[in-house]
Amino acid sequence: MHLSTMKLKFWRILSPSLSIIFFPAMGQSQDVVIDLLKKQMVEMHETMKKMAARIDQLEKEKAATGVRVDQVEKSVRATQSAPSALNPAIGMAIDANAEHRAKTGGEFNFRAAEIGISASIDPYARGYAYFTGSNEGVDVEEAAMVTTALPWNLQARGGRFFADFGRLAKFHPHEYAFVNTPLSLERMVGGESKADGVEVNYLFPTPFFLRATLGGYNMIGAENDRLDNTKSRAWSRFTYLGRLNTYFDLTDNQSIELGSSLAFTPSVRLDDATGGSRSLSGVDLTYRFQPLGSTLYQGLTWGSELFVNSERRPLEVEVPSNDDPSILETQTVGKRRLSVGGYSYAEVKLNRNWSTGFLFDYAPSIDNPAKKTLGYSPYLTWNLSEFNRLRFQYSYLDDKVRTDKNERGNQFFLQWTTVLGSHTHGFRTR
Amino acid sequence: MKSNRRIFLKFLLLGGFLFGFQTNLYAQKIRVITTIPDLADITKQIGKELVDVESLTRGVEFMHAVPVKPSFVPKLNRANILVEMGLDLEISWLPALLEVANNSKILPGQLGNIDCSVGISVLEVPRTVDRSEGDVHPKGNPHYNLDPGSGKFIARNIADGLSRNYPQHKGTFEKNLSAYFAELDKAIARWQGMAAPLKGVKIVTYHVEWSYFANRFGLQQVGMIELKPGIEPTPNHLVALAQKMQQEKAQLIIYGAQSDRFPRQLASQTGASVVRLQSIAGGLPETDTYLKFIDYNVRSLLSALKKD
Repeated sequence: MHLSTMKLKFWRILSPSLSIIFFPAMGQSQDVVIDLLKKQMVEMHETMKKMAARIDQLEKEKAATGVRVDQVEKSVRATQSAPSALNPAIGMAIDANAEHRAKTGGEFNFRAAEIGISASIDPYARGYAYFTGSNEGVDVEEAAMVTTALPWNLQARGGRFFADFGRLAKFHPHEYAFVNTPLSLERMVGGESKADGVEVNYLFPTPFFLRATLGGYNMIGAENDRLDNTKSRAWSRFTYLGRLNTYFDLTDNQSIELGSSLAFTPSVRLDDATGGSRSLSGVDLTYRFQPLGSTLYQGLTWGSELFVNSERRPLEVEVPSNDDPSILETQTVGKRRLSVGGYSYAEVKLNRNWSTGFLFDYAPSIDNPAKKTLGYSPYLTWNLSEFNRLRFQYSYLDDKVRTDKNERGNQFFLQWTTVLGSHTHGFRTR
Repeated sequence: MKSNRRIFLKFLLLGGFLFGFQTNLYAQKIRVITTIPDLADITKQIGKELVDVESLTRGVEFMHAVPVKPSFVPKLNRANILVEMGLDLEISWLPALLEVANNSKILPGQLGNIDCSVGISVLEVPRTVDRSEGDVHPKGNPHYNLDPGSGKFIARNIADGLSRNYPQHKGTFEKNLSAYFAELDKAIARWQGMAAPLKGVKIVTYHVEWSYFANRFGLQQVGMIELKPGIEPTPNHLVALAQKMQQEKAQLIIYGAQSDRFPRQLASQTGASVVRLQSIAGGLPETDTYLKFIDYNVRSLLSALKKD
């Protein structure tokens, strides 16, 4: 009840009582007057009790609100005045494996500790970086600037980053749905699409999602050893990329995403100093079933990529010697090779914490595409929380390439991945 | 040659017409994108015929697990205004979309971004922000839309935000806001009356999302099914919770977009009633407006209490 209403009621009760006291000659008997007074006193008492209770309640509410406001104000002031208030968001991912490979034996494989930092730079750009420490040393995986306010639906990115080639090449390995980088991605792209350069994205003004990327880089691929990343060279020896990416909701719960990429290097020189172009193209297709009402418990992702690589690769041939044509000598020549490979995986969410899936990998040798490695990998993932994950994977690799024993036969992996602090790779690893 | 030139001119005219038509079409209404249907409904009440509003989520989603759909990107790209709940409720999906939406006008802190949490008395602001406490929200509990009293703050923030961006329509927004306040006040008084039997009723919730609702209607939270926010319960935690529920005589178990497995298991052990509530509007045909959504939750609780 509102206080003013209560006051009104109070006076309404009081006024007849006063009139009875001051004007007794109204013809009423004394008993009736006393009864009336008693009744009114009781009513007054009740009203005053209610008023007191309401005042108590209001005071309590005021005190509680005051405490909450004080807490929030204090915490805001503390944050604002702290010297670290403008520090970027920092996070770390730790990724470690216990492995057993039938052909080579066991290993505790410390795969990576990845420190990621990100923040706005100014009203026009943001920046992010990922530093990875592993058994191979410490490396700047990415350190890039991205514009946030370019006109005409454009966005530019510069520095070192994962070039917009395909889908999985832009993931850091600890973000995969499975344990290892598919061999097809490893051999044909060179693992992650790490690149030093610049790229520009354009978001088409269509009602559906359609985005194009154009980029120019020293080269693409974390494991790409075709040239020295630190040396100047002719512009024909850079890699140029184009990509189109689109997405459609098939229903509320189902979607399909399609991408097509081409990375073209006009001239790749082999040891024999002969030139030749390299074109690496790819098509990626991702189907997702995400029932909106139960994304915590259900879901299916089916992701596939196909890569086509065409370039001159070194080939050892026996040719007659210049000095003595009857003697054959081994010479390395360049021969154009066309290799086609890819992978396909499906992952099903079993409940909030568990998911399982299967990865099929088709990885040809880019030097000799007739030889290939086929990989079959079922896996089971236990997400203890959003930031703590255990995964068991069995892989059987049917290897005809025979260049590395680690890529052959039965293999078992137990992977433990955790994330500390702020950690997100944003839109690309959705 | 001449006919070619004519065709070219015709195309040019057609292009110009289409461009002009498109610009004119867009100029007619303020394009507002909201993160949840609650905000879309309230924006419609404030903006009426001046706004064209769409919510990114449908209302059935669990707010901490909304898929990052690229189909949201063109919508954000073309929005004049983005209305969000703030307090990091959308942290797991909205920043990733804004990253590629190429619309600097609606980024947090910009004029076109309306944060509805301004002025809310935030509950459960953690004393220490540490993941050992689960998936905590450093800024406090972001599910304030469940308290209809907060609906007034939401409406006020939306009206202020729209007026900042379109001062020429401030009068209209304020008039519509007053009308909505009157409607909301009337509804709140009605719910307070209806919910009298809920006062002091002891409840257990799946997630920490119901605190604002419980405070408004005098429900008393005695436990949570999740071990910590965002962390599924262990068997030991469930045993301890069942014991606590029996000691405290908890009558209701409330859950939202989570599985009903643990609520039902606890109900069979303790005799409490299980009730599924909606944590945002729009998830059911009968919760398509903010007022109907609160009404649905109050009525659902009352009918669950009757069954108890």
